[in-house]
Amino acid sequence: MNMSLGILLATPFVGGILAYLGGKIHRWVRYTFAILFSVLTFCELFFYYGVESANLTWGKLFGSLLVLRLNHLSWLFAFIVTGISMLVVIFSVNDMEEHKGLDFYYLELLFVEGAMLGIVLAGDLITFFMFWEMMSWTSYILVIQNGEMSIKAGYKYIIMSIIGAYSMLVSLGMVFGEAHSLVFSNVSKALAKSSPGFVIAFFILFGIGLLVKAAIMPLHTWLPDAHSEAPSPVSPLLSGVLIKMGAYGLFILFYGLLSVQLLGKLMPTVLSVPLILYIIQWLAAISIVLATFLAILQEDAKRLLAYSSISQIGYVVLGIAAGTSLGIAGGLFHALNHAIFKSLLFFTIGAVIYRTGTRNMSELGGLIKKMPITFTGALIGIVALSGVPPLNGFVSKWMIYEALLQKKEVFLLIFAFVGSTGAFLYLYRFIHSVFLGSLPKKYENVREVPFLMQIPIWILSILAILFGVFPGIAMNVISKAESFFGITPVKYDLYGFPQGSGMGALKVVNISSVLIIAFIIVLVFFYMLPRSKRVSQYDTYAAGQIVTPETKYNYSYGFYMSFGRVVDPIFKWSADKLYTAWSRALKVSGDYMRRVYTGNLETYSSYIVVILTIVAFVILLGGRLW
Amino acid sequence: MDKMTEEQYRAISNMLRKRSLWMLHYCTGCGAMELPPTMTSRYDMERFGIVPYVTPRQADILLVTGYVNIKTLRRIVTVYEQMLDPKYVIGFGSCPINGGVYWDSYSVIKRLDKYIPVDLYIAGCMPRPEAIITAFRYLMDLIDKGKADGYKRYKENLEFYKANQRKVLG
Amino acid sequence: MVIKEILMAVGIPLLAFSIGIVLMMFKRKIIARIQRRYGPNFVQPLIDIFKLLSKKGNITHGVMYDLGPIIALAASIVVVFFIPIPGMKLMTGSADIIALLYIMVIGSLAMALGAGESANPNSSIGIARALTLMLGYDLPFVIVIITLVLKYHTTNLYVITQMQASSGWAMWFLPLSAIAGIIVTYGALGEHPFDVAVAPHEVATGPMAEYGGKHLGLLMINHAFHIYIELALFVDLFMGGASNIFYFFAKMFVIFVLLIFFDEVLPRFRVDDAVRFYWRWPTILALLGLIIVLVK
Repeated sequence: MNMSLGILLATPFVGGILAYLGGKIHRWVRYTFAILFSVLTFCELFFYYGVESANLTWGKLFGSLLVLRLNHLSWLFAFIVTGISMLVVIFSVNDMEEHKGLDFYYLELLFVEGAMLGIVLAGDLITFFMFWEMMSWTSYILVIQNGEMSIKAGYKYIIMSIIGAYSMLVSLGMVFGEAHSLVFSNVSKALAKSSPGFVIAFFILFGIGLLVKAAIMPLHTWLPDAHSEAPSPVSPLLSGVLIKMGAYGLFILFYGLLSVQLLGKLMPTVLSVPLILYIIQWLAAISIVLATFLAILQEDAKRLLAYSSISQIGYVVLGIAAGTSLGIAGGLFHALNHAIFKSLLFFTIGAVIYRTGTRNMSELGGLIKKMPITFTGALIGIVALSGVPPLNGFVSKWMIYEALLQKKEVFLLIFAFVGSTGAFLYLYRFIHSVFLGSLPKKYENVREVPFLMQIPIWILSILAILFGVFPGIAMNVISKAESFFGITPVKYDLYGFPQGSGMGALKVVNISSVLIIAFIIVLVFFYMLPRSKRVSQYDTYAAGQIVTPETKYNYSYGFYMSFGRVVDPIFKWSADKLYTAWSRALKVSGDYMRRVYTGNLETYSSYIVVILTIVAFVILLGGRLW
Repeated sequence: MDKMTEEQYRAISNMLRKRSLWMLHYCTGCGAMELPPTMTSRYDMERFGIVPYVTPRQADILLVTGYVNIKTLRRIVTVYEQMLDPKYVIGFGSCPINGGVYWDSYSVIKRLDKYIPVDLYIAGCMPRPEAIITAFRYLMDLIDKGKADGYKRYKENLEFYKANQRKVLG
Repeated sequence: MVIKEILMAVGIPLLAFSIGIVLMMFKRKIIARIQRRYGPNFVQPLIDIFKLLSKKGNITHGVMYDLGPIIALAASIVVVFFIPIPGMKLMTGSADIIALLYIMVIGSLAMALGAGESANPNSSIGIARALTLMLGYDLPFVIVIITLVLKYHTTNLYVITQMQASSGWAMWFLPLSAIAGIIVTYGALGEHPFDVAVAPHEVATGPMAEYGGKHLGLLMINHAFHIYIELALFVDLFMGGASNIFYFFAKMFVIFVLLIFFDEVLPRFRVDDAVRFYWRWPTILALLGLIIVLVK
């Protein structure tokens, strides 16, 4: 039992190396190894279902133990990591076929999975930081594999990740000085005894590193470029899993290292939430609304989904920072749901790009006739993301809203609601411009994607429906994770939430059954009426004008331009421009400082003379300068 | 037994359908000037259930108001074919009947009946709103008697109509 | 026991449909009388629906085109079961008001998908405008609902109506929120200042541009349900339900006549003007109402 955590962690790394070496022999060896080892990791995880806690000490560094551990929370996030990585590997078998350097790609893919697994299995801060950094550079290598634009996008990504990681390192150094050990339990004991200023400084420094990865505004500017320019199978990995590592880190920071009572003692509380958690909730709420408005105005499909990720992670952080049991459960459940449906949406747009070669939404259209299975997957993803019952996004959003209502945080609730309605807008744009509308002539020969690429779409759709109608399955693990960290768990049952757990009650299976019965009745009524015959898409109302395949008769560019006129005044300020301005200022000041190095021998010798004179004066004055 | 109920069903259905005819608000010529007075409060058309609707998919009656150019004929045929059965065509003014004022022009067609089946003509240049309402009531009578079957004629004599259309439109 | 359930399952949507149709009948007559003319026959909406459902030459553009109105109508029937009518709790134990807000979205989503499938840019423009308008009126709407939930400390609609039956209508205690709620009901119903989505002369009736025949019949039935749902929600939230079905209908009728009076004389907003309007005055009124409840 004790050694097996090490085996679990080492499996993806071994698989990556074997895939790299096997790829030198033949490509099918590489594919087999990659798929086999990712599936193996996923299956190994099920041996640990229900295990309360398991530990493994694997080394000693600077006098502090390096520990791996597993509890229910780690199990939940490890499930997300290994499940989505397995589907990404299956998807990239077909999608990346024309790519050069595929051996290295599969090595990096499995290494990213191993690094993220290391983060969730870490039991002390050094292991956490080591795998955090490893995740950053392996995902950077994956992002830049897609051409020139992705190199610039990856550059922004890695710089911001490294700045965050440095601030995390400073906080680790601070805590090591206090606690002399970086195991989680020792750190929390030490922090409980420290001064308020120390705790707040640690919180902010550690939190910046996490918030950069979780892409909360204003630290979000790397995300739209990185997620949209990355290759198609890598985007679900980035958007579905990597961002959740930031959320996991925040959970560990709030409730593992510190705790709500401790923070409540150290600083004033607003509506019984400690002030700093309230500030993070406000940042998350602003993230939700502004990212939604930005996503509505986009023309590029993957950028739209990237902005949508920023917005949904805002929901997760809003829930986790709420401090009550319902809010934390809602945040964790939304993390699980977002991994499922955002990966589903990225897989469908990856399938569309594979067949048509473009991701610009104004050029696509009408693909429902040619790619029906991809359309169904996209439809389920959209219905889940907008939070419509009976799919899974509804349950997690409902929990977050109820939690905010219980604490009477009404302004945050207003922002969350507006973000949810806005989500409906851009998701409709996505599915309309890609799948509905009229089919352009050049895509007449598009076929459905190969079967191996359809597997992830099928699996994720089924999971979305399952977790929506029976939320008790996921709530099982989540409430056990909550009680492990000392938070009272939420009362739930297999179908929803009985009265008394929140402010209202919810039984999703009733809603879905009534919906299905009503649908069947109306369908029967519809088919009893006179029959209808099929007409082509060119036989449409154009006030008598005859529509031919050459005329571009659809509305796809600037779909929400009228809404853009409403929100334009808000977007005159932009964090991206601020950071670019700072980097330009840094470059200019560096240019000025470069003038010191003139390359002229006389200048250098005069520098030496001046400095020696000053040093001589200092020594003459007795070695002190004042 | 079945035949009797089918006749009864058709009688009830005609009685209900004639009270809710929807007009296509598609002004093909100068005769459309007389439609707004008919629709508004003075010679209210809505009390017979006739409402203007925008797209051919939603409308029952196509009003060919005024003279019909060759260019207009192509569009009228497209619109007529986009409408859903049962549909009715009313020729409005003297131009669809025999060319009207443009009886010797090279680009106006003289008899609309050769190209699409017409159920009813209204004479006049322009007919007054009272004439239009009388025509609508006459159409409702025809529907009751089951004689307003222009759409069936179009489907049965499709070759005849198509040959005429091709001769003119090219 | 099972017979009672089946009777209720069939009877409640029929009741909702008949209330909606009667209100539609009154609407056309009242608008005609305002314009100093005789209106159509009193039962004209039913005759229209019969004519549409009996059209023979229907067309279809694909499976999604057919499924659009079907799922929209099914979703409207589902929503009816979650709004309490006088004397019956219906299914409010399974979904509270926040869940109800999301269930109401299923119908518009299905309709939007069906209209998108019809490959007509007029429908797409109509849907884009309708969705933008929905984002506009959602902001005061959620503020009003949060105000009511805070005041009555529950999110269950049935409990809200019961508490108003004993302590007086919410309309008198929260007048600002009630005014904001009425303005939101305009937008949700597509009444005249905000009917930019189905502007008949601008965008060829928006999403319904390619729909005819039996699909349009289903959409008209859906519209009747929609009128019932919006007005019943307003009456339940602000006027405390009612003790029997006739008072319920009377309250809905009063509100509906008020809506028609403003509907007839006002022209149409452009869609971004509508969103700016909704984010200015109704939001300020609703926020004032919210602050009053928070402070008390």
